[in-house]
Amino acid sequence: MAPWRSLRWQIAALVAVASGVVALAVGLLVHRSTLERSLSLGRDRAVTALLADSPGAADPGPLPAALAARIGAPGTYATWYDDRDPDVPWMWAATGARAVKIDMGGDLRNLRALDRHIVLASLGVLGLVVPLAALAAELPNRRLRRVARTARRVADGDLEARTSAGRGGDEITGIAAAVDTMAAALHDRLRVEQRFTADVAHELRTPLMGLVTSAELLPEGEATDLVRDRVGVLRVLVENLLEISRLDAGAESAERVEVPLGRFAGDCVHRAGLAAEVTVHGDPVAVTDPRRLDRILANLVVNAHRHGSAPVEVQVEDTTITVRDHGPGFPESLLAEGPQRFRTGASERGRGHGLGLTIAAGQARVIGARIGFANDPDGGAVATVRLS
Amino acid sequence: MSVSVLLVEDDEVIRRSVGMALERYGYRVASAADGLTGLERFHAGGHDLLLLDVMLPGLDGIGLCRRVRETSLVPILMMSARGDALDVVSGLEAGADDYVVKPADTSVLVARIRALLRRATPAPGGTPRLVFGDLTVDPEALEVYVAGEQVSLAPTELRLLLEFAANPGIVLDRQTLLHNVWDYGWDGDSRVVDLCVQRLRRKIGADRVETVRGFGYKLRR
Repeated sequence: MAPWRSLRWQIAALVAVASGVVALAVGLLVHRSTLERSLSLGRDRAVTALLADSPGAADPGPLPAALAARIGAPGTYATWYDDRDPDVPWMWAATGARAVKIDMGGDLRNLRALDRHIVLASLGVLGLVVPLAALAAELPNRRLRRVARTARRVADGDLEARTSAGRGGDEITGIAAAVDTMAAALHDRLRVEQRFTADVAHELRTPLMGLVTSAELLPEGEATDLVRDRVGVLRVLVENLLEISRLDAGAESAERVEVPLGRFAGDCVHRAGLAAEVTVHGDPVAVTDPRRLDRILANLVVNAHRHGSAPVEVQVEDTTITVRDHGPGFPESLLAEGPQRFRTGASERGRGHGLGLTIAAGQARVIGARIGFANDPDGGAVATVRLS
Repeated sequence: MSVSVLLVEDDEVIRRSVGMALERYGYRVASAADGLTGLERFHAGGHDLLLLDVMLPGLDGIGLCRRVRETSLVPILMMSARGDALDVVSGLEAGADDYVVKPADTSVLVARIRALLRRATPAPGGTPRLVFGDLTVDPEALEVYVAGEQVSLAPTELRLLLEFAANPGIVLDRQTLLHNVWDYGWDGDSRVVDLCVQRLRRKIGADRVETVRGFGYKLRR
């Protein structure tokens, strides 16, 4: 935000304009009434001089046409303010027979001095009031900034953040209270969702663990293999669904450490137990969450094997990791909309639940990585993970 | 003589199947279906390792863990079906040495049990006493003294301290500690390190183990 757009300077400018307008109006009024008073005094003096016929009055010289036009019936008199030369004004008074003029220069100088004082006083007051207004505006400004900061923290996932605006019944307290209410509502909803996920996890995993260990105890045989295979699938499915619901709840946060990407990618592929050719350029190191990156990479490699075909290539260059297979490529819908759960484009891509890529994308969001899906012109799906 | 594991788990199928599976691996297994019975069985004695579920009727796994730690340094492995931060953190804070998230393969359980038991047995000797200020570590007798007073450390805490003592003044990052003390790879949960360091600090003095923000921990010489 440009500093001049700050509310503080807007308020200061408003105060300055308002004070300026008031000063101008008062100045004009004072100027006018003073001018009128000195004109009326000048007129009286001129008429007195005319009637007194004092010999001291200077010879006024030829009668100006404007004054001559005003003189009516004999015995009456007329006055005229002569400001033909704005610096040397005169007040004329004339009957049909004679005329006098009084020097008004002193009054003019007094009036100008008054104007100057008004302007100086106005400027002085403005010089005092504008900084004061700016200072006074700092208080609501600070409160507003705190509200904005809190709202941003809430948006960044800190749902415990509160404005704690407290007292005062003004609009800022209102908006602060609204932000607090919003954060509290979000917090409650998230807690309920997390609670639910945790409960579901418990309810699903407890019988599953019994199933897993019992299946391990079965005597070897074809039927046992079938049971173990299905138990394995069920287990992966449950874990994936729980992971997605945790990601959806938005409660995940990254735990970053320095990770040497080359060695890491090799370990990860090795742990996944699948064949992939790992190529590392240089010795790249990234600060990221290794557990989540491991999930992303493993899911991409598993996906490449399940839906694409060998050879699967993993390339690490700088902080970009590419996983490429040589199968039919990603389906159009995935390229267009990104990974969708339980949608695999089954006809051309084989079986699966479409959860692996959804999880990879979700985990990438948590660690602040960008993940892109594309098809190579020479065939094959290409998933690109850009860290940092 | 074979190793005796006390399994406290309320789900009957898990209790029986894990018991049978561990017996196949040569462990002796005693089991209990709730926390209080588990505590009784434990006090009856003769167990080399505790395998606890977190959610138990009556006294829960965390409470049980705390009660056991009041008197014993026996290795404790927790099993949690929830695996969320609260369960894991409270379990480790209560004094558990490690945790697994259900469902766990028997092979994983056995690997963790072996790692824990390895920590509980003395390391090969021949190393002199190490002295860091008022902290004295005897790697041979596995004894630790603070200002002349012996303190008792749980096996994981002891392994962690030995790892620090072997690299005094050197910053050890969480991954290294996970690998060397817990036998984990990249997939380990570094919270176990943080919580174990906290417990270690409570016993040997908070300023002895220094946090190096963003990297890990080091032992102050």
